[in-house]
Amino acid sequence: MSTAAVAMRRNQNFTRNRTQLTSGPLTITLMLMSLMILLALLYLSQVTKTSTFNYRISTLSQSRDDLQAKKEKLQIDAARLQSLSAVKESDSAKKLVAVDRVTYADTVK
Amino acid sequence: MSFSLEIKAKWRVNMLAGFLALCLIIIVVRLFQVQVIRGQEYEAKADAQQSRKFQIPASRGEIFVNQGDDLYPVALNQKLKLLFVDPKFVVDPAKSAKRLAVVTGLNEDRLKTQLTYKTSRYIELKPRVSSEEAAKIRELRIPGLVLKDQDYRFYPEANLFSHILGYVNSDGEGQYGIEQYMNNDLGGRDGLLKAATDSLGVPIVSNENTIVEPKNGASYVLTIDRSIQAVAAKALASAVQENKADSGSIIVMDPNTGAVKALVNYPDYDPNNYGSVKADQYGVFRNRAITDLFEPGSGFKVITMAAGIDTGKVKPETTYTDTGNVEASGKTIYNDAKKTFGVQTMSDVIQKSLNTGVVFVLKQLGTNPNKITKAGKEVFAGYIKKFGFGTTTGIELAGEANAKVKEPSTYDIDYANMTFGQGIAVTSIQMMQAVAAIANGGRLYQPYIIGGTVGKDGQVIPTKPKLVNDRVISSQTAAQVASMMTKVVLYGTAYATKMPGYNIAGKTGTAEIPKPDGTGYYQDRTIGSFIGFAPVEDPKFIMLVRMDNPKVGGDAEKTAVPAFATVAKALFRYYQIPPKQ
Repeated sequence: MSTAAVAMRRNQNFTRNRTQLTSGPLTITLMLMSLMILLALLYLSQVTKTSTFNYRISTLSQSRDDLQAKKEKLQIDAARLQSLSAVKESDSAKKLVAVDRVTYADTVK
Repeated sequence: MSFSLEIKAKWRVNMLAGFLALCLIIIVVRLFQVQVIRGQEYEAKADAQQSRKFQIPASRGEIFVNQGDDLYPVALNQKLKLLFVDPKFVVDPAKSAKRLAVVTGLNEDRLKTQLTYKTSRYIELKPRVSSEEAAKIRELRIPGLVLKDQDYRFYPEANLFSHILGYVNSDGEGQYGIEQYMNNDLGGRDGLLKAATDSLGVPIVSNENTIVEPKNGASYVLTIDRSIQAVAAKALASAVQENKADSGSIIVMDPNTGAVKALVNYPDYDPNNYGSVKADQYGVFRNRAITDLFEPGSGFKVITMAAGIDTGKVKPETTYTDTGNVEASGKTIYNDAKKTFGVQTMSDVIQKSLNTGVVFVLKQLGTNPNKITKAGKEVFAGYIKKFGFGTTTGIELAGEANAKVKEPSTYDIDYANMTFGQGIAVTSIQMMQAVAAIANGGRLYQPYIIGGTVGKDGQVIPTKPKLVNDRVISSQTAAQVASMMTKVVLYGTAYATKMPGYNIAGKTGTAEIPKPDGTGYYQDRTIGSFIGFAPVEDPKFIMLVRMDNPKVGGDAEKTAVPAFATVAKALFRYYQIPPKQ
């Protein structure tokens, strides 16, 4: 037996043991905290998103109501301007001359 | 010693365990009580804190009239503000009133009184505040002032449609006219939003929100023609003022369908400002053409004559001898002219408006032509009913009155009086319905004023005319009575409405007004009316003019006929009806 072989035998613990990753209490605590923070952020982002949508809906509703009010106002103005009393007082109506004689075309052959 | 300690320790542990068990039991019991027994109650409380119910108001339907191919709104909605004050929060009433008066135009002294009135928490200061005015009021920053959103009705034609439309009061309820009659349909049904709210009570978006959509009110198109309405209103106002009458009304209708083209009463009011009508003038709200009964007087003679001719008992050329008066139930009936006319035809009876002549017709209707019989009264009553006087017409306007017609079992004198329109009470619209049947050849149509409903797509679904009776009288009878009525215009009491080239049929009526206590008639009060249609050969319109208690003196020929002539002349031009050569 050579010297080298003897030396090898002496240090024959060649089997490799896989390193087992173990986590201590600190690691678990940190991981849990990270998870909680992540969830909290997720929750916050969703809540913010909902609030943003709420705000947008509220703005759009307000805008719709304003437009509706403007439309109603315009309709009322139009109706008021077309009322007979308004038409009678208009400049063009004042220029009209009353009909005193009507001649009908004879369409009977 | 150590044994004793061990027992003591064990006892303590047991006590502690028992105590904890008791606590646990109490908690469980309490939880059971909270979650099971009173669960619903707490759930409702939590629900009330976290969510609210919001009413979503339905839009009131609008009312239109036709304008060529378009629609013109005569009643529409307007969102304005209501200004009110909670005087408890007003700091300096005098200064606040002064500043507010400048912006609103309200009386400063009155405002000061209102702002000082600390015992009330709500005082209305001004309705119908526009958004521009509201902005100016807000800039004043006066504590205690509140501007509340409020829906108002706007009537662009103001007085012109007042009696047709009515108005909507501050509670959103329709009053008078179509607004009242169709209130439920016009008002629609409010919606409801049940929503989760934030800490300020503002609704937030949530899957659990529930909504019941509002159902907006129906919109209608009237049969009224705005131009005819305006002409009639102008003619009526002039006539009432010239005759110094208490009031008056004009109705114009299409006799071939029953569609009302104009309906005006005078005096009228502005429905935009109905609150300004004083308490002693509330009668102005009534649509007198629909709500007020009157004795039609001689205008009713055409109904009597139609009954006589339709039964074949008399003909236009049938004669009788007028002695100036006639007896019934021991009482004497005279002609209005207080004259004796001698031998007269039935055409003369209508033309000269002879009371004795229509009593003669009533006698012919019965079993003995020389006296009024029960059978005759029954036949006459049957025709009165057939002409629609037994029920209301059903026109879509609030407050329609029904005719008062005596039963055939009553005294002969009552029926004799009824032949010439005394002792029978009808409305103007009922007279229109009845005489329209003479104009159109014997068909009784229900008068109507809603010409259509506006569908969701904006298309108008037209109302079909309702034929109540397709043969009240024969077409021959109708033509003969119409011809007799034409002579009233050509040679009789309605001569003032004669127009060259146009055949107009009509009948005047001047009736006394009965006293409310039933003790006879006022000697100095009358109602003058004229009902007529034209052109007789193909009637395009039927019109009734009524003057209540004119004080200038004279019969209907002087009070009601001129107004009829004015409107009829305008209608011939408006409908482009050429005169006959």
